[in-house]
Amino acid sequence: MKKQLPVAEGVFTWSSGKPHLIGSRCEACGEYFFPKVKLCQNPDCPDKSRIKETILSRIGRLWSYTIQYYKPPFPYQGPAPLMIGLVELPENLKVMGQLTNCEEQDLRIGMEMELVIEKLFEDQQGNEVLTWKFRPTRDATKEGSSSERKQGNL
Amino acid sequence: MEKEVAILGVGAHPWGKFPGKDFVDLAVAAANKAFEDAGVGWKQIQAMVCAETMWAGRAGLYAGQFISRALGSRGIPAVNVENACASGAVALAIAAMMIKSGMYDIVLAIGGDVSPEGFYPALPGEDPLSPDSLRWTAIGATNPVHWALDCCRRMKEYGTTEIHLAKVKAKNSRYGASNPLARYKKVFTVEEVLNSPMVAFPLRLYEICATSDGGAAVILSSMEVARRYTRKPTILAAACLGNLVYGDPTVVIGSHIAYKVNSSVPMLSESVESSRRAYQEAGIGPQELDLAELPDNSSWHELVYMEALGFCRPGEAETLLDQGATELGGKLPVNVSGGFSSFGEAVAAQGLLQVHEIVRQLRGEAGPRQVENAKVGLAHAYGAQGNAGTIIVKR
Repeated sequence: MKKQLPVAEGVFTWSSGKPHLIGSRCEACGEYFFPKVKLCQNPDCPDKSRIKETILSRIGRLWSYTIQYYKPPFPYQGPAPLMIGLVELPENLKVMGQLTNCEEQDLRIGMEMELVIEKLFEDQQGNEVLTWKFRPTRDATKEGSSSERKQGNL
Repeated sequence: MEKEVAILGVGAHPWGKFPGKDFVDLAVAAANKAFEDAGVGWKQIQAMVCAETMWAGRAGLYAGQFISRALGSRGIPAVNVENACASGAVALAIAAMMIKSGMYDIVLAIGGDVSPEGFYPALPGEDPLSPDSLRWTAIGATNPVHWALDCCRRMKEYGTTEIHLAKVKAKNSRYGASNPLARYKKVFTVEEVLNSPMVAFPLRLYEICATSDGGAAVILSSMEVARRYTRKPTILAAACLGNLVYGDPTVVIGSHIAYKVNSSVPMLSESVESSRRAYQEAGIGPQELDLAELPDNSSWHELVYMEALGFCRPGEAETLLDQGATELGGKLPVNVSGGFSSFGEAVAAQGLLQVHEIVRQLRGEAGPRQVENAKVGLAHAYGAQGNAGTIIVKR
């Protein structure tokens, strides 16, 4: 039977409905990391061992974007051309990911984006291999004022 | 007092694609040119530092052993260094330290590379959960994607246009055309560049460096030894290295897939570090440079490295470009060798090729692309994961 498989284990949750990226938070200095790290990487951290797994916010703002027109080499197995962006999350991280549910001409820096888990490709057994992507939120299609109001409750 | 280090000779194999030649062949050809240039032979070399190549399996890791075997093994140490595209600069810096320590008088820094065509692919053996694995498997982010993301943001922040990006290529192509070592000799107009296919918006095919094969070698010596061979040796005023600072907001290849947004650390922190140290070591500031070779992996790079190295303030590189300040005859000519855009990158050799150009320029041997009366030049290389080397040469 056709299954859904994550492209890598321990990078995102998706089965519970609302998907989240899984990162790390340092309890000693408050810094966030994605993907997970074993030790805090901040040289000024007072205790690098106090690192805990955490989920990251699923809504942020498009910091930048590009469209890659040529197919990337193996081990990439998804479609091309593809849109890739960096989405700024409240954790002071801009996370790279494919962009979906939008057209090149819709993209503008600062628009509100949300995390989704979607098919990247089908493997040889017919399983759907899933990855994280970002898509514009419903608010992002409206003008700036409504999305700025939203920023406070991320 | 520290020993002064001289550049006794430089040599390079031309850049291009050479079926049938491996990285050892290219490095050996470069070494022989350097021996000829320096007036010393392989038998006078006391130690060598070799930039490793990523594309030749195990042989690439032990590049120095393979190259020294081809030159005729003599028992001298062969140190291998791997710092991605900064490897050539790192090899030179280590060679300089070997001279400064007083342990060796004549040291060869060398690199040869045969690159895969197209996008540099992933290498096997990575942890599948590392950023450098996930960027391929989960995202499909080639190297140019990283540059394009920072470049697209720069357009919004500083008003960089597609014309600026095309201008960088058009400028460098004029110099590459007259450099016998360059792979690409065509002179491009801005229009031709703008008509080339988009690879990763806003970066186009002709604005991104190709992958090439090449080899380069630099022979260093103590100043006492150099005076025996030449009356006017060029002086290695600084060869300083740097590494990424935590919190660097740059979209660095391989080290992360999530980057800081608000940070007190500057972009390209590894290059800010290496250049700051180099200026200090040389006692020479960016305003005193007569020319610079910067790593123009894409047009975006040439602009941002001008800023990271203190040639101008952030957001001002386009103004210098528009004013012609970075052209031959301008205030600070940048990439008069033709740059990576005319050569394509042969990773292990690229940093040494930059030094080759500076030395030729300081000696007045650069022909039609000669910077008039050049006295001080800078070469800067950076590598994946955030590492960099800044070399300053004077006469």
